[in-house]
Amino acid sequence: MKPDVVVVGAGLAGLSAAVRLAEAGASVRVLAKGVGSTHLGAGTIDVLGYDAHGGRVDRPLEALGGLPAEHPYGLVGRAGVSAAIEWFKGRVADGPRAPYAYVGDAEQNVLLPTAVGAVAPAGVVPETMAGGDLRGGGRVCVVGFRGLKDFFPALVADNLSRGPDGVTARGVELDLRPEGRADPNALAYARAFDDEGFRADVVAQLVARVAPDELVAFPAVLGLVSPHEVWAEMEHRFGRAVFEIPTLPPSVPGIRVYTTLAQLLTRAGGRVVLNNVITGAERSGDRVRTLRVRVGLREVTYAPEWVVLATGGFSAGGLELDSNWVTHEVALGLPVAGAPAPGSERFGADYFGGQPMDRVGVRTDHEQRPVGEDGGRVVENILVAGATLAGAAPWREKSGDGIALATGLRAAELITGDAAGHVGDVATAGA
Amino acid sequence: MGITDKLSHSQHDHDPPDVLGDLMRGTLDHCVKCTICETFCPVANVTPLFPGPKTVGPQAERFRVRGEESQDHSLDYCSGCGVCTQVCPQGVHIAEINTQARAKLKERDGFSLRDRIIARPPLLGRAGTPAAPLVNKTLASRPLRLLGEKLIGVHHAAAVPTFAGRTFQGWAKKHQSPPAARRVAYFHGCGANWYEPVVGEKTVGLLEAIGCQVDVPRGQSCCGLPLQSNGQFDAARRYVRTMAKRLAPAARAGVDILGTSTSCTLMLKREAREILDLMEDPDLKVVSEHMYDICEYLVMLHDRGELALELQPLPMTVTYHAPCQQQGHGVGKPALELMALIPELTVIENDAVCCGVAGTYGIKVEKYEIAANVGRGLFDQIEGARPDLAVCDSETCRWHIEGSTGVRTVHPLEILHRAAGLSSDAELRAPA
Amino acid sequence: MTTISTEVLVIGGGATGAGVAWDAALRGFDVILVDRADLAEGTSGRFHGLLHSGGRYVVKDPVAADECVAENPILRRVIPDCIEDTGGLFVTTPEDDPAYGDQFLAGCQRAGLPTEEIGVDDALRMEPRLNPGIKRAFTVPDASIDAWKTVWSLARGAAQHGARVLTYHAVVALHKDGDAVTGARVRDELSGEELDIEAGFTLNASGAWAAQIVKLAGIEGIGVIPGKGIMIAMNHRLVNTVINRCTMPADGDILVPIRTVSVIGTTDMREADPDELPVTQAEVDQMLADGERLVPGLLQARALRVWAGVRPLWQDERSGEQATDTRDVSRTHAVVDHSARDGTRGLLTMSGGKLTTLRLMAQDLVDAMCKQQGEDRPCTTAEVRPPGNEDGELYTLGSRLRRREGTQQQEQLICECELIGRTKLEETMRRRGTQNLDDIRRSLRLGMGPCQGGFCIYRAAGILHGTGRLDGAQATASLTSFLSERWHGMWPILYGDQLRQARLDDWIFQGLLGVQHLPPADGDGRVEAPAQETVA
Repeated sequence: MKPDVVVVGAGLAGLSAAVRLAEAGASVRVLAKGVGSTHLGAGTIDVLGYDAHGGRVDRPLEALGGLPAEHPYGLVGRAGVSAAIEWFKGRVADGPRAPYAYVGDAEQNVLLPTAVGAVAPAGVVPETMAGGDLRGGGRVCVVGFRGLKDFFPALVADNLSRGPDGVTARGVELDLRPEGRADPNALAYARAFDDEGFRADVVAQLVARVAPDELVAFPAVLGLVSPHEVWAEMEHRFGRAVFEIPTLPPSVPGIRVYTTLAQLLTRAGGRVVLNNVITGAERSGDRVRTLRVRVGLREVTYAPEWVVLATGGFSAGGLELDSNWVTHEVALGLPVAGAPAPGSERFGADYFGGQPMDRVGVRTDHEQRPVGEDGGRVVENILVAGATLAGAAPWREKSGDGIALATGLRAAELITGDAAGHVGDVATAGA
Repeated sequence: MGITDKLSHSQHDHDPPDVLGDLMRGTLDHCVKCTICETFCPVANVTPLFPGPKTVGPQAERFRVRGEESQDHSLDYCSGCGVCTQVCPQGVHIAEINTQARAKLKERDGFSLRDRIIARPPLLGRAGTPAAPLVNKTLASRPLRLLGEKLIGVHHAAAVPTFAGRTFQGWAKKHQSPPAARRVAYFHGCGANWYEPVVGEKTVGLLEAIGCQVDVPRGQSCCGLPLQSNGQFDAARRYVRTMAKRLAPAARAGVDILGTSTSCTLMLKREAREILDLMEDPDLKVVSEHMYDICEYLVMLHDRGELALELQPLPMTVTYHAPCQQQGHGVGKPALELMALIPELTVIENDAVCCGVAGTYGIKVEKYEIAANVGRGLFDQIEGARPDLAVCDSETCRWHIEGSTGVRTVHPLEILHRAAGLSSDAELRAPA
Repeated sequence: MTTISTEVLVIGGGATGAGVAWDAALRGFDVILVDRADLAEGTSGRFHGLLHSGGRYVVKDPVAADECVAENPILRRVIPDCIEDTGGLFVTTPEDDPAYGDQFLAGCQRAGLPTEEIGVDDALRMEPRLNPGIKRAFTVPDASIDAWKTVWSLARGAAQHGARVLTYHAVVALHKDGDAVTGARVRDELSGEELDIEAGFTLNASGAWAAQIVKLAGIEGIGVIPGKGIMIAMNHRLVNTVINRCTMPADGDILVPIRTVSVIGTTDMREADPDELPVTQAEVDQMLADGERLVPGLLQARALRVWAGVRPLWQDERSGEQATDTRDVSRTHAVVDHSARDGTRGLLTMSGGKLTTLRLMAQDLVDAMCKQQGEDRPCTTAEVRPPGNEDGELYTLGSRLRRREGTQQQEQLICECELIGRTKLEETMRRRGTQNLDDIRRSLRLGMGPCQGGFCIYRAAGILHGTGRLDGAQATASLTSFLSERWHGMWPILYGDQLRQARLDDWIFQGLLGVQHLPPADGDGRVEAPAQETVA
């Protein structure tokens, strides 16, 4: 029925907010253009991997203090981040994929290998990845599949061995293909791993090729439906730590997150409705009264008490730069902060360097209400969360998941009235 | 500019609709290759014969030019369920691009006899209804079905409906809906007319019970969806325009049109205009604006506090599958919301995206097994739940589910009708 | 130092140089072709893809028009696999003078260029996205031509006739014996090693870099001013026919459907250095606005990439030619006879020209050499098809889709945008023996589609590494340099859909993979070259 809260966007921020709200008893509907970015990420919840100067962060909560004042973490504070992490771990453990679980905390990062063989800090990670923590170095056998074009074990191994982290690695490629497919993606492999027969084939081909002191790394395809069982069985069969390395999209661990949150939402009485595109809003006074939504060829309206806007940044289409070089918040036309003036440089020539457009987004006050140029709140009942927020360069900081989760939850708690009293303790505690 | 102005701006202020007749195809520009559609595609997930919606859609479309033949036959393995468009976060009309490309492919390859027949339910209906007992017996005969598979390529084990031997139109001609404050029109579709007139009768009955005067516009035939799905666009356009002409007077009078066939309501609401390039057809446009799926409409009334329905306890367990075409409406799962109003009814929601049959797709001999594999997860869920009934909004899906699981499968409206005390348990559980 | 010798040394591996090498090799000369970089990496690989019918020049430059009228059908015959028969339209936009159309028709008639004025309605039916306000429309036999395919086909053809093709070999000195040029010293840009080439004759086909080359022979007074043109590739075929504005040649007046994209071009700006061609905001804005005039809605469509090419503006103090606008220089070509001009024998330079007349230019240059040498070897390039074009079939856009359809149950698709399968990729890596993903790009269009390498470049790097040709450090260097190169062509036009894509690519490469955190390659980060480039 017509919901009290409309959450716009079905990524990590939107889904977390919606689950939190629904479980608190609010009537919630998630309206989204399509499925969110969970399917594209690593499936880890990274709080902060690199600081403002690109330095690797070991203790993310502590490092939050070094972030610029306008960083979105300033909205939630350390306590907010920690609480969000714990909440997420709890919900996954209680979700449809349990006993699949997340491990770690926001205090301390682990160092996980990437699919190109870099070693990158990660925050809270699926249990199926935790064994890949290479902080102490070690020997790794990286297993891949000839059929999987989104993971190259020899390249991973070569680069890991080149690094300064004391890792010695080698790659092993198996020629096992789900259903004999010529071009299976990570998802097809994950489904295959859910099958006992396929797992047996993998173990049979591999067991003699792994040296006694090697950890065993797989691409992150160890089961879609039963990842815990698949991973536990592999650890048991090999008698050592087995872990997943995230692949190029589609992200199997990300799909697990999406499924978990979407099903928790359904369980709590909420719902995700796709192909619903917000086209505008009518307001009276300081509140939005009506939300206009395009559904197919038709425009319908919602009249929620609250709106959580979690439509993502430029990659998801929550923000847009048009061909006149003007930046928009797409759904509602909220004020956008930090955009270079038309005519001035938006990007620079150095691909790996910082770009003027990096931290553009919607700026909010401490209660996540959007603010205008003068810093004044523009509307009372819209809260902004996730990658739409100004102030972060999450792909470079490795902060996107943490921001999405913490600001999504805080938006929910601000609505339900459960928000912890004090916000903005980042600045003070970090001083 | 004040903030108020900004907030009332719609995104269309800087995203004008494509006015160049390139409406669906042009959306390929939004594709960032993220593969989300491919992870949801029920067909690609069970067979490598279909390379996936992104592959045959926005990706292949860049290699197709006017006047040049489309080169990829694997495109024909798309079932047209539309899930790809639903999940796409970037707004690419993947399914629509694929349907249009498939039509071009079919145009070149020619339409098989089978595809001509199964895409025209009215022909079948008119042929089968007068001799229903005999035809039904024939359709139930394995040797004859094997012969049919050989001759025209309809899989012998595919669930096909049984002819009712009467038509809903025949009933409606004799039925006089009592005057009421609220007027609605009923779009019955082929399913209710030839195979399940009971669904149509119950719909009229329930609507009358909640204070609607129900018009059944005369001369309704097929909406053209099966033709569209089978790539026969010219014929599909003829059918849908004829249908729109029949329904347009009601729509022009401001009367909302309600349908029980969720794929057919979607066809008239959106798909025909988008896919068949009939965006501005005047009849279709006005019909499209007034078209509702029955459950969508009832929930809308309920939200306004205008659904005057006394529902009695219905102590049974049902499963509910929202078919892909129902999800294409983008209105959530109104059937669930309605069934939640029924005391003592336990509803188990299935989370499968598609049962596999996708209209006529799953009855074709070369696709039957694919459809069976697509539906397997759903069937396992239904069988595992041991429900009294299964519930689903689309007739072809109901037949497929019932044929695959043996569980009697009904339209959500039949559940409501029973709970409203308008029919008996036996009527609900017995095949029509 | 190693010394090798040859009859003919061709400097410059663009369309002209490859055409010259092919022509000379067919005439039985022993040929070495050198380029300081990859084939077609300069002007040829950076043009819009238009195979002129001649319509563009019929009013302003009749000689150039005549050449195009003659050459267009010849190229369709000998390199059909490089050419798509798109046809062309000249359209009078609301801002153009309709009277120019009459001049245009008269010019076409004079040049013998088949053209026909068609109704505006017919033109719009043909190209529904065209500006509905056009006033006149004329059909011409324009086509689109793939410069990389062309150059590689000619170079491979030359190699099959014994030519040696040395890419990444820069000329560092010209050798002279008295008043004769007798060869060159070249430096292998990958290994740094130098090599002497003794040549009976040296043909300078280095286009915008020609003045730099002749200076090495002590020849002064020749200048080549680089005339920069920028082009923008739109993500898909907005039109399927080449669209020209029916007006005097100006900026932003052509839209070329080439392979999977449409290219809007071009500007004309004088620059100081052919190797420094910045793309400015003003140029991008102008080009987009020009495109919008031809195809309304273009501003909402997806721009993929922008690049600049450089056409050589020839300035010879002795002939007193001092054009101020590069567009006013004739598009015809001329052979510069250095023995007549400078008293330097054994050296000829090709000046001016355009891709459509590459075959004729090669013929003229080799003819001139034969004449000086007293040889009589007839040119056969108007009849002989170089490799890849044997079946005589013109290229069609759907051909890759058809091939992919045939192999999709057998092999992986690596570059999804441009439909490149693993077999083809591995074969090309082997054949080219390269460590450079950008070379593979030019051979296969790898990473040139909407995602600009976002999904395929990781895969290609992994496969290249897997062939054993690169170690981890080299693969990393190749990957990061490809990403930087792609970025170079994207950032000035990043808006709308392409910005979404770029950000997703950022998430993948900088977030998910963390390529910037990989340990750096040894030394200066350059990829060292264990294997030599081969053209065969």
